[in-house]
Amino acid sequence: MKTGTGIFWAAFAAIGLSWCGLVLTPQLQLGGAKLEPVLNSADTYPLQPTGAATLGLQVYRANGCAACHTEQVRQGGVACEISLTGLGIYKPADFTAYMKSLFGLKDLADLTNSITGNLKDWNGELPKTLLTCTDKALADDMSSRLKAVGVKSETHIVATGLDIARGWGDRQSVAADYLYDQPVQLGSLRAGPDLANIGVRMPDANWQMLHLYAPKSVAQNSTMPPFRFLFEVRKIGSTPSPDALNLPAGFAPAAGYEVVPKPEAKELVAYLLGLKANAPLYEAPFTPATAVKK
Amino acid sequence: MSDEKKSCSDSPANEPVVTRSSAPMWIIVVTLLIIFVAGYYFDQHSGWFNPKIYHPYATAEQLDTYQPKSGEAAALARGKQVYEAVCGICHGTDGMGKPGQAPQLAGSDVVNAKGFNRLAHVPLLGLTGPIQVAGKEWNLSMAAMGAALPDDDLAAVLTYIRTSWGNKQSAVTGDDIKKIRAGLKSNQPMTHEQLMQIPE
Repeated sequence: MKTGTGIFWAAFAAIGLSWCGLVLTPQLQLGGAKLEPVLNSADTYPLQPTGAATLGLQVYRANGCAACHTEQVRQGGVACEISLTGLGIYKPADFTAYMKSLFGLKDLADLTNSITGNLKDWNGELPKTLLTCTDKALADDMSSRLKAVGVKSETHIVATGLDIARGWGDRQSVAADYLYDQPVQLGSLRAGPDLANIGVRMPDANWQMLHLYAPKSVAQNSTMPPFRFLFEVRKIGSTPSPDALNLPAGFAPAAGYEVVPKPEAKELVAYLLGLKANAPLYEAPFTPATAVKK
Repeated sequence: MSDEKKSCSDSPANEPVVTRSSAPMWIIVVTLLIIFVAGYYFDQHSGWFNPKIYHPYATAEQLDTYQPKSGEAAALARGKQVYEAVCGICHGTDGMGKPGQAPQLAGSDVVNAKGFNRLAHVPLLGLTGPIQVAGKEWNLSMAAMGAALPDDDLAAVLTYIRTSWGNKQSAVTGDDIKKIRAGLKSNQPMTHEQLMQIPE
């Protein structure tokens, strides 16, 4: 073993460098993560989960939900959307003609298709989406042109990508979304939909309960296994339980029986309803729908 | 056995030995090229380990340009933020004022004037001496709390005050504040009479 010392140092360097890359760097990057301000608001994000939701995370973990559901929304890109809010002195037809007169300009050539498509069959209703483009500088140029002729407009930032198009969220998931999760339930396989934003998408606790007890009762083609052991089927006592599920025919228990969620089911639903990754943050900016006047 | 012993390959002089030879030049060149290209790609796309930078953004500058700014709702939210930090301590986060500290803004005549010119002078200059607000007599002084605020923030806060707690008046823009600021003739706190001389 003439080379013993050399092998030791080589192994030390290999393990040490991996440790630096896999443990030290992420710790330096995100170890100091704190509550973050929500854009254009006095609120901070994320909210502290309730006690039931904290316990629900452990139920989620114990039942292997993360084997089929992810909690990470991906974003492909970002787009700027210019929305007209006031036409000033223009009538809609004049405005369309004015926009057409701009298309000769070289730097606006890329926008021609988007604008003509959007203004086609426009009846003059406001607000109206004028154009969607990925280049912020181009969008700013256009909005300053509009301002110069007295047309009022707003620029909305919109996240784009497959997951966003599926309706799984308004923006991508970022580290702040998992600040209170221990352990983080990222998941890696999507046999079911992504749950990062399920509390916004399906805010009805009753729907969640029915879905856990009998997935097919609310989603016909669901491949999710029923989690009946989170519920108790029991004889109705002197009065029916206020928590009893209101199941549709075919899923309801025999007459005189009721389905009541166990504490685990309530905690899991509290956790699911708390999954709301919908705050605009500095690192994942977008214009929330509440700020967009529809 | 004896035959083998005699064979050439068995003699100690022919034992294979480890020798050093220099790596071919092309491998060194290709390796350096790969390192260079990877380094360039890293520089352009990584955000240099900044935890705030995610794909599709590559740099902090690019991320900054995509921050949503426009929109009345955004301005109102900003106004609420500034109000609660600067004004709300005395005037109350509900706009109802606090006894012995500041009068209410909800339903106040100065706030609910058609124009915002007179109202804008209050945070820019300050106010002192007796004043009637919503039927009650107040005799306190307010410093020029808004003089140090940026135009856009002051406009946002005035818009918030003029549209909250039952007040329903028009919005104020940063350009309006800029004009009013440029037209200020003094920097002394006003009395009620002086305030009323300013056009609405």
